Amino acid sequence: MDPGLFAQYVMNGLMLGMMYALVAVGFTLFFGVLDVIKFSHGDVLTVGAFTALATFAGLQALGLRSQWLDLVVMLALATLAMAVLGMAIARYFVLPLRTAPALNTLLITLMLGTALRESVRLFYPQGANPKHFPALLPRGSVDLGHFNLRLDNVLILGFGVLVIVGLQLLLNRTKLGLAIRAVAQDEETARAMGINFTAIVLITFAIGSGLAAIAGVMNGLYYNEVNFGTGLYLGVVGFSAAIIGGLGSIYGAILGGFLFAGLQTIGTVLLPFASAYKDVFAFAVVIAIMAWRPTGLIQEKISERV
Amino acid sequence: MAGKSKSPAALWPGLAALAAATVYLIALLAAERQALIISLIGVGVAAVTFVAWFRLFDALSHSFVENEDPLGACAILAVVAIAAYFRDDHFAMLLIVTVLLYSVATLGLNIHFGYAGVLNFAGASFFGVGAYTSAVLGTYTAVPHLIVLAAGGVAAALVGLLLILPVLRTRGHYAAVVTIAFALLFKTFLEVNDVLGGPQGMQVKGMKLLNWSFNDNVEIGPISLSFYMNYFVVSLALLIAAFILVRRLERSWIGLNLDALRLDNVAASCFGLDVARWKITAFLIGNVLIGVAGALYGMVGGFVAPNNYTFADSLVFVSILLLGGIGNPWGVVVATIIVVIIPEKLQTLQEYRFLLYALMVTAILLFRPQGLMPRPVRRYFPEWRP
Amino acid sequence: MSGLLEVRGLTKRFGGVVAIDGLDVAITPNEIVGLIGPNGSGKTTFFNVITGLHAADAGRVTFADVDITSATARTIYRAGISRTFQHSRLSLPLSLFDNIMIGNHTRLNQGLWFNLMRRAALRREFEDGYRAARALVEVFEPALVARMFEPVAGLPMIDRRRIEICRALISAPSLLLLDEPSAGMTHEETTELMDDILLVRDRHKDLTIIIIEHEMGVIERITNRCIVLNFGRKIAEGPYREVASAREVQEAYLGAA
Repeated sequence: MDPGLFAQYVMNGLMLGMMYALVAVGFTLFFGVLDVIKFSHGDVLTVGAFTALATFAGLQALGLRSQWLDLVVMLALATLAMAVLGMAIARYFVLPLRTAPALNTLLITLMLGTALRESVRLFYPQGANPKHFPALLPRGSVDLGHFNLRLDNVLILGFGVLVIVGLQLLLNRTKLGLAIRAVAQDEETARAMGINFTAIVLITFAIGSGLAAIAGVMNGLYYNEVNFGTGLYLGVVGFSAAIIGGLGSIYGAILGGFLFAGLQTIGTVLLPFASAYKDVFAFAVVIAIMAWRPTGLIQEKISERV
Repeated sequence: MAGKSKSPAALWPGLAALAAATVYLIALLAAERQALIISLIGVGVAAVTFVAWFRLFDALSHSFVENEDPLGACAILAVVAIAAYFRDDHFAMLLIVTVLLYSVATLGLNIHFGYAGVLNFAGASFFGVGAYTSAVLGTYTAVPHLIVLAAGGVAAALVGLLLILPVLRTRGHYAAVVTIAFALLFKTFLEVNDVLGGPQGMQVKGMKLLNWSFNDNVEIGPISLSFYMNYFVVSLALLIAAFILVRRLERSWIGLNLDALRLDNVAASCFGLDVARWKITAFLIGNVLIGVAGALYGMVGGFVAPNNYTFADSLVFVSILLLGGIGNPWGVVVATIIVVIIPEKLQTLQEYRFLLYALMVTAILLFRPQGLMPRPVRRYFPEWRP
Repeated sequence: MSGLLEVRGLTKRFGGVVAIDGLDVAITPNEIVGLIGPNGSGKTTFFNVITGLHAADAGRVTFADVDITSATARTIYRAGISRTFQHSRLSLPLSLFDNIMIGNHTRLNQGLWFNLMRRAALRREFEDGYRAARALVEVFEPALVARMFEPVAGLPMIDRRRIEICRALISAPSLLLLDEPSAGMTHEETTELMDDILLVRDRHKDLTIIIIEHEMGVIERITNRCIVLNFGRKIAEGPYREVASAREVQEAYLGAA
């Protein structure tokens, strides 16, 4: 294969892997602290992307047209708004259902996700159609032989790495992170240690949802487009990635995200006739991995005592 | 309360409720003006609230539970009566047939969610597998149409098996994500395959049994019947068969096995249950029902298209289950009536229906998770007394 | 081998923790053996490995001369080993009858055709099952017979434990494993429960019991002998009174003096 083409594939794979990883990390965080599969996660991503879009429209209307300023404000607002949304979902829909069968929580988050998705489709102006996302990053690129390395992609990738590193630092080097890990490991003991369980849960949901917003903005910048169905798809991919990595493990989620992107890339190369088949291929392999290693490549948190 | 009966429950509350419901449905189906429809719905809600407020629900459900067979027969008569009333109204007949076939499909999904505990979020996709099977067989082969229906069921079962086998020994959310992925990919798969008609879909030949073409209006002397009446007869027969099947399944050792493995599969295996075998059996039976209903519905509609079998459509089936009460076949039928008919009549709501279903189910999960008709304790043989 | 259950060198590790360490146990038919030891000494893990829920890392388990070391939980149940659980695993929404019948799996016809089409025959099996369940429940708490078709969720903890024991007994097992059956009960209730279990045992002739308990009164009264575990190893074996006065046992429970 042409080295330039190969490099292109690798770059695409890294970009996708980064986004999947961010979504997968959210799923794993929620499962870790609350044993909950929050199916609305992907749709929170969509709402985040659209919030950023709306912010942009607002900034344009206000006459503020500085690229970097716009980007920072959009990102900040979307992340903050989604953090609040995530907390609200936890507070009003997930926590109240803690004593109910797990199916109920899964269903309610699935329905909330649908409500969010449909609301975007119905109420955002022209929501049913793909919307153009502004290209706010520098458009330069570097030619490396046959491969055109785009500056904006490098920036997105770099930013994603920063976010993940930042999350790791938060979880491993701060008191808050310690509290989150304690709650994820054993709720009762954490409570006995004086940790405010509800507060930690809400904060974790805020963090996870904020990550979704960031992933949504990244997605929008990468494709220059957002679509009301994007989040659902990314949510399914992210969740699968989190599962094969091992639910409850941050490293597993990141690994799973990049693994899935790698599978999609391989699928594109092997089955060039229809892009839909790359997904069929990737999911088929994922299902095979699930059958082979049900607890994930890195052990899923075991919460069952006989 | 449910186990021992102090006195034989009266038949008349159940009969009265059925009669009232029949009249109400006829009125609702016949109404044309939006204002009238909205007031009728308001009357319905008020009536239900009235019954709940005066605690008449218990007497009512007691009547139904104790007299299930006679009331079931009366329910069938009621349906026939409604169909007779709308015998030449295409739109109403199509709606009735839709309710019947969606009920069959949801009964199948009920076996998954309610008994086996398999989270199948691709109900509409399996429905579509059945429908496309009937389209393909009808277009490219001369297979007799009853066999086509069976083939639809088998196709749905086989595709389902492919999905569920790998995740059999895993926790519930695996089946959930696998079926959601399938639901998303199925539509795309259909769209990119021109041999299946691509985004436009395919035509489905109308049903034909022994030279009786279902797509011709029926004339019996001076009476003219909508051609949907043909499909109505077959659909009703299918629903009755499916209902009896599901009832008997639940009221048997197999039903017990399914409940046991759903509620605690560790303990179940300690008492000899082959969890994998029963999960697969339940999944297959459920998918056969979904596939057959889908195949027949394809013939009813006359065409199939990827847009009818999306993930959102699968969630509609799940909403029906939750509204009716997971595990209760009567609840499934009642909820199907509500979920199918009301948005069709309230045309203004059509666009918002997915959003409304999602909000409705959210409310149900928060305030009445057991649904309209909670599943009662198993009674293997209702007439039996200790 | 005259033993009913023979365990040789059984070892089970969870990650870095050795839950069971080279355990040798021999249970003869018809005896009642107490399994005691401080919390975390491996008692429940022992039950879990025997019944096939966890795979042993080393060692051999033989039941009635058949090697069941790597058998599945289903096979072990069929061989005649039945159990209760420390945290009372009943299916709460299901009725008392349903829960008990879950334990009767071997005697119920599971065929699809039988269950769906041969309803008269199913009814006869149902009635047989009812009679058997009722006979058992009457031993433990006759008042529960009237509630046979109510959900177990409505019962107090003591009655739930009774139903759980009925579930374990309905298949007429050869070996019954009881995991802390008296947890949450008063002294009188425990005594009554143990008497009822002995009554059933008298009726069934061949019933061997291994019982995990923290209530030493129970152990003293009904067991023929005890096995004491600590950190997954057997530290003492013999009649209760002998074992209770042994220095190692006292140290295990109370800590070294």
